[in-house]
Amino acid sequence: MKKRILYIGSILLLLVCLLQPVWASSYSVSRLVDEADLLTDREETDLSGKLDEISLRQGLDIVIVTVYSTGDRTVTEYADDFYDYSGYREDGILLLISIEEREWAVSTSGYGITAFTDAGLAYLTGQIGDAMSEGDWKEAFHGFADLCDAFITQAVTDRPYDADNLPKKPFNPFLTALVSLGIGFVIAFFRMNRWKNQLDTVQAKDAAADYVKEGSMNITEQKDLFLYRHVDRREKSESSSGGGSSTHTSSSGNTHGGSSGRF
Amino acid sequence: MAVLQEYKCPCCGGAIAFDSTSQKMKCPYCDTEYEMETLAAYDTELKNEPADNMKWNTDGEAWQDGETDGLFTYACQSCGGEIVGDATTAAMSCPYCDNPVVMMGQFSGSLKPDLVIPFKLDKKAAKAALTKHYSGKKLLPKVFSDQNHIDEVKGVYVPFWLFDADADAKVRYKASNIRHWSDSRYDFTETTCYSVTRGGSLGFAHVPVDGSTKMADELMESIEPFHMEEAVDFQTAYLAGYLADKYDVDSEASIERANERIRKSTADAFAGTVQGYMSVIPEATNISLRKGSVRYALLPVWILNTTWNGQKYTFAMNGQTGKFVGDLPMDKSVYNQCLLRYTALFGAIIFAAAYLLWLL
Repeated sequence: MKKRILYIGSILLLLVCLLQPVWASSYSVSRLVDEADLLTDREETDLSGKLDEISLRQGLDIVIVTVYSTGDRTVTEYADDFYDYSGYREDGILLLISIEEREWAVSTSGYGITAFTDAGLAYLTGQIGDAMSEGDWKEAFHGFADLCDAFITQAVTDRPYDADNLPKKPFNPFLTALVSLGIGFVIAFFRMNRWKNQLDTVQAKDAAADYVKEGSMNITEQKDLFLYRHVDRREKSESSSGGGSSTHTSSSGNTHGGSSGRF
Repeated sequence: MAVLQEYKCPCCGGAIAFDSTSQKMKCPYCDTEYEMETLAAYDTELKNEPADNMKWNTDGEAWQDGETDGLFTYACQSCGGEIVGDATTAAMSCPYCDNPVVMMGQFSGSLKPDLVIPFKLDKKAAKAALTKHYSGKKLLPKVFSDQNHIDEVKGVYVPFWLFDADADAKVRYKASNIRHWSDSRYDFTETTCYSVTRGGSLGFAHVPVDGSTKMADELMESIEPFHMEEAVDFQTAYLAGYLADKYDVDSEASIERANERIRKSTADAFAGTVQGYMSVIPEATNISLRKGSVRYALLPVWILNTTWNGQKYTFAMNGQTGKFVGDLPMDKSVYNQCLLRYTALFGAIIFAAAYLLWLL
C-alpha cells in the first residue's frame, strides 16, 4: 500500500514536473476562453489557431474572453483582472464579452497600450460593433483579430493609429457612385442652365446706370454714426484631446489601457 | 388728310432715301448724294407748301361707324396708288411702287421730334447679326437656324421719350461689421452696428422710355444703350427709306418707368459709397427729382420677324450700336440628352477623383 502510494505519488510528481514548464509558459494559456459558449467547437479551433498565430508572430497576446456575467465587477475590472491573473505576457490586448450585461470591454497592457490608442480603439470596436450587436460572433472575433494584427503592424512599422491617422474606411463604390452622380447632376444642371440663358436675351433694364451724367455725383452729406457693439461669448465644445492612450490601474496594480461599451 | 412727303432726286426725279453708310441722302438710280444740311433747308420749304385736299365723297357701300377709326389713307405722289396706314404710321414705302414716303402730318406742331439718331447699320448688317445671334447657342434647334426664313426685316424709327433729371437723394443705412476670435475657453462674436447717412445728387441725361405700344418695352430696353451724343436735330429726310411711327404713349404716361429706373440707379450709386462694412441694409430712402425735362426722339431699330412651329419670334437690333437681342426656342431633346451626358461625365470624373483621393 505504502509502495503503491509512493508509486502514484512519484508518477504525479513526474507529471507535475513534466507539466510545470508547460503551465509556466504563457504560450500554453488559451487565448480564446469561450465560457459563454458563443462559438461552435469547430469555430473555436479556427479562431484559437488564428489568435495563437498572430500572437506569436507579433509578440503580443491577443485574447478573446466571453463570460455569462462579470458578477459584481465592471467589465473593465473583469477584463483587467482576467488579463493580469491568467498568465499572459506583459504586452497584449484582451476583448471581453459579457452576455448578461450585454457589455464589452477591451483591456490593453504593456506595448498594447501604445499600439492601441483611445482613438484607435474607438475605430476598432466601431468596426466590429455591428457584428456584435447582431450576435455574429464569428465575424466579430475574426474581425477583431485581423484588426489587431493590422494595428500592431502599423504601430511597429510606423506610428500607431491615432486620432490624426486612423486607418482608411473601406471604399464603398455604390455610395461613392451615387454621391458622384448627384454632384455631377448639379454641375450638369448649372451648365445646361447657362446654355439655356444664352437663348433668352430680352430683359427689361431695371436701372439707368448707362445714362448717369459723368462726374455728376455730388455727395453733400456723409455721416457714419456708431450705434452699439455686442459681443457674444460661447463656450468651446470639448474637442477631442490630442490623441494617445489613457490608462488606469487595475486591482493587481498593473497599468491598463482600453475601453468599454454596450452591444 | 395728312400730307405725304416723298423725296425726289433733283437730278433724275427718282425717289431718294437716307443712306446709313454715307450718312447722306442718296439716289439709288443715279447715285447722286445730297448733304443733310441741304435737305434741312428743303424740308422747311416743303412745310410751307399747302396741303392737298384729298377728300372724296363716295356713294355705295359705306364704312360702318368706327370702322375707319385709326385707318389713314394717303395717295402716293409717284404712282397715285392708295397707301393705307394706321394712326401712328409716320414713314413707310408705297406698296405699289416701293418708293419711300413720309407722312408729314405725323410730325407737325407738337408732334415734331426734337432729336433723331440716324441709322448707322443697314439691312445687311442686321441679317449678318442674326446669323451671329444663332451661332454658339448649343440648345437652339438645328432646324430653326437651318430653315432660317426671315419673314421680314424692317428698319424702324421708334419713338422714345428721353428724360433728363437731377436726382436728390438722402439715404439712411444700417451697416454692421462682424468679427470672430477665440481664446482657450470661449469663441467670441462681436457685432458692431452703425447708422450711415448719405446725401447728395446725381444727374441723369436721356433716360429713354419706349413711346410706342407696337414695340415691346422689354425688347426696346434690351437693345439699350443708345449714344445720344450722336443724335441730330430732327429732319424728316432721315426717315426716307425706313418705317417710322409716331408716339402713342405720351410723356406723362412714360414718366413712371423713367422714375423707376432713375430711383434704382440712384439708390445703387449711393449704396456704392458706403464702404468698409460687411452688411449694408437701406432703412430709409428718399429720392426726389428736380430740373426734370423731357424730349421726343426717334431712335433707329432693326426689327426682324420669323415664324417657327406656329410661333412668332421677334428680334431687334440697335440701328446705332448693333446690339442684337431676341429670345430663341430651346431644343428640349438636346437639353435632356446633354443633361444626361454631362451628369454621367461629371459623375465619372468625381467618382475617379474620389477613388484617387481614397488611394492617397
